[in-house]
Amino acid sequence: MATEPKAATEDVKIDLFEDDDEFEEFEINEEWDDKEEGKDVTQQWEDDWDDDDVSDDFSLQLRRELESNNDKN
Amino acid sequence: MAYMNMSMGEAHRRITDYLNRFSDAVSSQDGASFKSLFALSSNSPFLLSLADAVALFHDANRLINQSDSYSQFSDILLPLLRSVQNYKQGDFVEAYLAFEKTANAFIQEFRNWESAWALEALYVIVHDIRVLAEKADKELASTGKSPEKLKGAGSFLMKVFGALAGKGSKRVGALYVTCQLFKIYFKLGTVHLCRSVIRSIETARIFDFEEFPKRDKVTYMYYTGRLEVFNENFPSADYKLSYALKHCNPQREANIRLILKHLIPVKLSIGILPNHRLLEKYSLLEYSNIVLALRRGDLRLLRCALQDYEDRFLRSGVYLVLEKLELQVYQRLVKKIYIIQKQKDPSKAHQVKLEVIVKALKWLEIDMDVDEVECIMAILIYKNLMKGYFAHKSKVVVLSKTDPFPKLIGKPVNS
Repeated sequence: MATEPKAATEDVKIDLFEDDDEFEEFEINEEWDDKEEGKDVTQQWEDDWDDDDVSDDFSLQLRRELESNNDKN
Repeated sequence: MAYMNMSMGEAHRRITDYLNRFSDAVSSQDGASFKSLFALSSNSPFLLSLADAVALFHDANRLINQSDSYSQFSDILLPLLRSVQNYKQGDFVEAYLAFEKTANAFIQEFRNWESAWALEALYVIVHDIRVLAEKADKELASTGKSPEKLKGAGSFLMKVFGALAGKGSKRVGALYVTCQLFKIYFKLGTVHLCRSVIRSIETARIFDFEEFPKRDKVTYMYYTGRLEVFNENFPSADYKLSYALKHCNPQREANIRLILKHLIPVKLSIGILPNHRLLEKYSLLEYSNIVLALRRGDLRLLRCALQDYEDRFLRSGVYLVLEKLELQVYQRLVKKIYIIQKQKDPSKAHQVKLEVIVKALKWLEIDMDVDEVECIMAILIYKNLMKGYFAHKSKVVVLSKTDPFPKLIGKPVNS
């Protein structure tokens, strides 16, 4: 294994950019079949979630809150 | 030091062995063997022990010059052996400088080789020059000097790109070089420099995108997809990142995760939500409250989630995209108020008093007065997230009787 650079210490302020989201290298001849498993991850999206259902907890609490003012009046 | 255990004779043998492999690979055009001779950053035992041999022997130059089959490549070999030695000793600036010389000499020879037999070796050199430059810059910065080796590596890669941009079989290597350039520019924060090489890839007639290797197309679409996110071209970002997702090796979960990390904000912006299972599987739970906030119309939850993961979202460049989801959350909240009113009294439901919205927001611990709410409602109408008009004097939003809350269905909010 290569030895550490002579002058570097962990807490030296390094004025360099980083890209946290650097893509990992594929191997030079890396091959794969994307037909089967690839499908699974592309099918995990919902486009029909924006429905008219207000029976969830949040909506019920919202309803209660909106109705509460009427009591005060 | 490890090489103290090696004898001079052994060192001599190892160096000559390396030189022979080099000249054999060239004369038989054996690309697979050739590439392993340049793979410094792989830390292969083969190269590490070569480094020891070079350090011990001291005079590798003499060995190179003593035979025609090596000396004709001395411009490549001399600095390469120096680089291998420097690398092992952790002198990354010196290693980079030497490797850069090797790389430049290599390109000269490469241009003369008609076929693409040495393309894999080129890939290794292109990759390692970037990695070495990064290490060199760290070393420079840590000693208070200006880090400019990575920038220099970028210039070299542009030269390589030029060598590949021709009609011959070498041109399939251009996308790999492009992706290495992307990595450099993203790291340096000079992403505007991506534009010219993208233009070359996408408009030059010599390139047919489909001919490039799949792994390079995936990487390319990931980076260009990210650029589209920066530029808020959501349909384009969706296309590119979805392409990368669909075609990425499914076993490379780290990469799938990176693609999703950038694709999810795009999908959210066009009204599409990820399943919770997806977020769990790829450890992207920082998005789960944002998704929930959209589902509910819970503005407080959205703002909390943005705050909780602000640093992470900023570093990935998605913060602004997520912040703009506020409008969609407002839409959902008002829609819920409308539906709740409709259940109580259908005849009056399409009239929503601003003060009711103020009250709902107050319940969400968001303090806004009627004028501010009016402003938001005006924006919702302007951007076609809400259909209706304002009765300004009575402070009421009068909603359209048909489809008052148009869905995005895969299109971004009107700008």
